[in-house]
Amino acid sequence: MTVYSFYIFDRHTECIYTKTWLPQTSSTSDGPSSGGGGGGGQQQQHGPPGTSTSTSTTTGSGSGSGNTTMQLRASSADDAKLIFGTVFSLRNMVRKLGGDDDAFVAFRTAHYKLHYYETASSLRLVMLTDTGTPSMRNVLHQVYINLWVEYVVKNPLSPVEHKRGVGVKNELFEMALDQFIRGLM
Amino acid sequence: MTVFALIIINKAGGLIYNRSFHEGGLNTLSTNDYLVLAGTFHGVHAITARLNPLKAVNNRTSTSSGGGAPFTRPDPPSGLEVLETENFRMQCFTTMTGIKFLLFTDTTQVNVDRTIQRVYEMYTDYVLKNPFYQLEMPVRCDMFDRKLGSHIREINNR
Repeated sequence: MTVYSFYIFDRHTECIYTKTWLPQTSSTSDGPSSGGGGGGGQQQQHGPPGTSTSTSTTTGSGSGSGNTTMQLRASSADDAKLIFGTVFSLRNMVRKLGGDDDAFVAFRTAHYKLHYYETASSLRLVMLTDTGTPSMRNVLHQVYINLWVEYVVKNPLSPVEHKRGVGVKNELFEMALDQFIRGLM
Repeated sequence: MTVFALIIINKAGGLIYNRSFHEGGLNTLSTNDYLVLAGTFHGVHAITARLNPLKAVNNRTSTSSGGGAPFTRPDPPSGLEVLETENFRMQCFTTMTGIKFLLFTDTTQVNVDRTIQRVYEMYTDYVLKNPFYQLEMPVRCDMFDRKLGSHIREINNR
């Protein structure tokens, strides 16, 4: 099971938190050492000879990495908007067809699976995983009750409305979320 | 095990066939709502095809692998295939020509792949081979209605 990314949208449809666990996010931070494989940092640690064989390619990818980081940053902001649009349309569609008590749980394409959980206060949690993952609804529920409520809602310094993610990106929440998701993988 | 409904959407996002097989499974909507639903789904499907989280990673590996690795064709983009909700499950099958078949079933239905494939076969046999049928236009073929009805009834009574 692999988790690709995680998004939180507030009731004003704004994306207030986003986090990705894709292989390239770790490789951009530590530069040319993990440029060749592209298969994630963990594989690189297992096979040091593999990195030495691909020295010629690391220079090529190193020069392009600045450009790709820019593209990735732009695309992740766009992705959040696209994801919200998708989820919102599907939710309305499902409620129209299945009745007002029906809730949209997940959808799958050939490449990824998107899990959705909405709280009573219209906070929307979205997670993208690989296609083989079973329902992550309870996981998202756990994220809400154990992480969001504990570290964001109960934080006295956190505002009620999280405009542009203010109050969400605190150390405790980020660390606990990362630990929780890595524990699942 | 119940098949609730079938919707066929043409490649422009227009509703060309809509039939319900089971009362009480899904809410019955007005024709206008079904048209809106088909159009909305068409758009959502196009977005979900673009939202591949691995796309950036795959691009990067393909450019950095250089000339040594044999060229591998990237996977074709794929939009939404299965939608799960609390009350029903929707399977979407897209043909090579862009026609979408949406089959609504209950959440425990098995072998939906096979069923939707069979529906597509019926569409090719009884709709596309009908000399009076115009492409991209609403499906009004008695033969298709009859064969589809009996096939789904068989599944629902199983």
